[in-house]
Amino acid sequence: MMLRWMPRARRDLVVLGLMALASFGTGVHAAATPTAGELLYRRGMLLSGRPAHGEREAGAGVEGADAACSNCHRRSGLGSKEGRNSIPPITGTYLFMPRTTSPDDMAVPFVEGARADRDPYTDETLARAIREGIGADGQPLSYLMPRYRLGDTDMAALVSYLKGMTRAPVPGVTDSVLHFATIITPDANPVERQGMLDVLEKYFFDKNAAVRSASPRLYSSRKLIFRVTRQWQLHVWQLTGGPQTWDAQLRRHLAEEPVFAVISGLGGRTWAPVHHFCEQQSLPCLFPNVNLPTVEEGDFYPVYFSKGILLEARLIAGQIGSQHDSSAPRRLVQIYRSGDVGEEAAGALRAATGGRGLKFVDRALKHTGGSQELAAALEDVGPGDALVLWLRPDDVGSLAAVPVKAGAVWMSGLMGGLEKSPLPAAWRGATRMTYPFDLPEQRRVRVDYAFGWFSIRHIPVVAPQVQADTYLACGLVAETLSHMVDTFVRDYLVERIETGLEHRIITGYYPRLTLAPGQRFASKGGYIVRFADPVRPKIVAVSDWIIPR
Amino acid sequence: MRLLSNPRITSCALVFAGALVLATSELWADEAAGGPAGSGSPAGSGGLAGAGGPAHHHSATATIAKYTAEYAPPAVELIRDDGKSVWLPQELDDGRPVLLNFIFTSCSSVCPLASQTFAQFQRKLGAESKTVHLMSISIDPEEDTPARLAEYAKKFGASPQWQHYTGTLAASLAAQRAFDVYRGEKMSHTPVTLLRSAPGKPWLRIDGFVTPDELLHEYRNLLASK
Repeated sequence: MMLRWMPRARRDLVVLGLMALASFGTGVHAAATPTAGELLYRRGMLLSGRPAHGEREAGAGVEGADAACSNCHRRSGLGSKEGRNSIPPITGTYLFMPRTTSPDDMAVPFVEGARADRDPYTDETLARAIREGIGADGQPLSYLMPRYRLGDTDMAALVSYLKGMTRAPVPGVTDSVLHFATIITPDANPVERQGMLDVLEKYFFDKNAAVRSASPRLYSSRKLIFRVTRQWQLHVWQLTGGPQTWDAQLRRHLAEEPVFAVISGLGGRTWAPVHHFCEQQSLPCLFPNVNLPTVEEGDFYPVYFSKGILLEARLIAGQIGSQHDSSAPRRLVQIYRSGDVGEEAAGALRAATGGRGLKFVDRALKHTGGSQELAAALEDVGPGDALVLWLRPDDVGSLAAVPVKAGAVWMSGLMGGLEKSPLPAAWRGATRMTYPFDLPEQRRVRVDYAFGWFSIRHIPVVAPQVQADTYLACGLVAETLSHMVDTFVRDYLVERIETGLEHRIITGYYPRLTLAPGQRFASKGGYIVRFADPVRPKIVAVSDWIIPR
Repeated sequence: MRLLSNPRITSCALVFAGALVLATSELWADEAAGGPAGSGSPAGSGGLAGAGGPAHHHSATATIAKYTAEYAPPAVELIRDDGKSVWLPQELDDGRPVLLNFIFTSCSSVCPLASQTFAQFQRKLGAESKTVHLMSISIDPEEDTPARLAEYAKKFGASPQWQHYTGTLAASLAAQRAFDVYRGEKMSHTPVTLLRSAPGKPWLRIDGFVTPDELLHEYRNLLASK
């Protein structure tokens, strides 16, 4: 799987070279110490530590973080588009490129909003643009662009930062190959692992089957060049050992096999080390299959389909919170297994229901154990209690021997197996399940697209939702890359996903996927469902699509 | 819909609108060169289908287009930034003059400017601002919780007369469609400000980046002609 595409010795040289380049470009990529220019660009902070100040002609001033260049021109510096407003790219490449008459003649990769038909900026005209809002051609810049009060030292730091942006070669991108990794933790479910890898490998195979040999450069359309020539290559980074060792393993993998982005992936008990690795290495980590994503406000590179079980906890909290009559439970008993993600979900539910006069009881089952332990944990549960099951199918299935005594039963669909959950017949009537996906009959057309593709490629469907999500992740990355033409910049990939995701019509299991600058969880809600049949995997929604508030 | 200044220049106004977009600034010119289909005409795609065209005002800084228009706000429930559920028509029709715009809190360029304009408008009105209702409806209601909106409002120093609204996606979409600001998805939104002097009166619609002074001017004109 980890294709050795050159001899070891030579590869090491390449790795060393790339590491040297990476350290050369630290002003842009390293998370370590931001330069003065970066602080000004991203946070609107002057060298003095004071906030930068910008004015618009009609008097709407901006200051500090609100004045940061990256708000509009984005972290990549490659600009953005909101409605009819194209915010132009402002990396050195685009500011100083020679004038041409047509965008097709530009000697740099195409970026929306780049202007070919104006004189290149100089340090002087650039400073004038930033201070006075006058463009290289002497015309006033947009009303959106503030005019900044910057001293010479701050200006020099900013201009130097702009010049350095995206200058270093991007790891994982060669003239002919785009390298991607997928990351699997050692405790990932082995069936889901195989299902995911089948989809990834076939997807990459298919993608490359459409790529012919290098074609002549087509000056009329750079979009075509990219689509015709670049191969996708997958590197599977299988982690071993304890989570505390993963970061070092991942760094080693990245040094040996530089990749442009991480695509999909599969986690178990924790994903946090992978999340933090991606953030630290400025590596987009796109749509992994994890029940418990890491929620870190302000992190840029990891992007998830949803908040997983944390979303489920909020859904249940909303249901319990809406009961104010005599049926409202007095006690909330949560059952989870030690060493599984249910513990975090239970904590999130407790936090979300806090202050409602409920008594919380957490019952942590041993790491592994039989149904007796589960039965014992439920023994004192009665009609005045609400029971929440953060359990996997094996445990859920073993409930047959236990009578249903709780006044209300909630269960995690993500952990318990969704509609295929082996919940015993006696429990099915009383149990309400969180369902953070579109309902089966409503998503049929969208997921049939994926399952049809699996069938043609002879991919066994062993973990339908994980496999459909994996296929969706591939499709989202492929689509986004096609819009990026050949501007392979990691930050730009994330930014284009942020703004472009809402276009997507085939959204698999999800009714709707949207992001925006700063948003990292694409599907925001879920249903509460009940089982409609004592045996068959049939569910019925008992709520609308709920987005927890 | 009725043209504000001169009802005979409909077609000219259309051409003029395009020309302005090309000529105004680097930013607009970029758009004219590379803009995708479906992002709406410069003066608001839906707005031009009626009997009149837009009246343009072109300052040194921004291009705006004005119309008067009738809208039928849908009877949808919204959730205000104080957490209270309200009906949109009742919020609009409480008797006060209304200024209305559509924003979302993750928006990094257009919305902060629109919100800043509202903030400065409030400040410039001074004590009089207590008599006018400013409303900002989220076009990203899935992300914009009442708490998030309240935080956003605080950041812009919104007084109690300026309220932000969220709700279900369907409710937000219905409001966006009713006021002809829906552009297919949130990242395609365009700056629009709507003013109305009193319930039952027509709306004044301003497309483009209106400055706080221009907004104040339009507001006073509207009240004077009430």
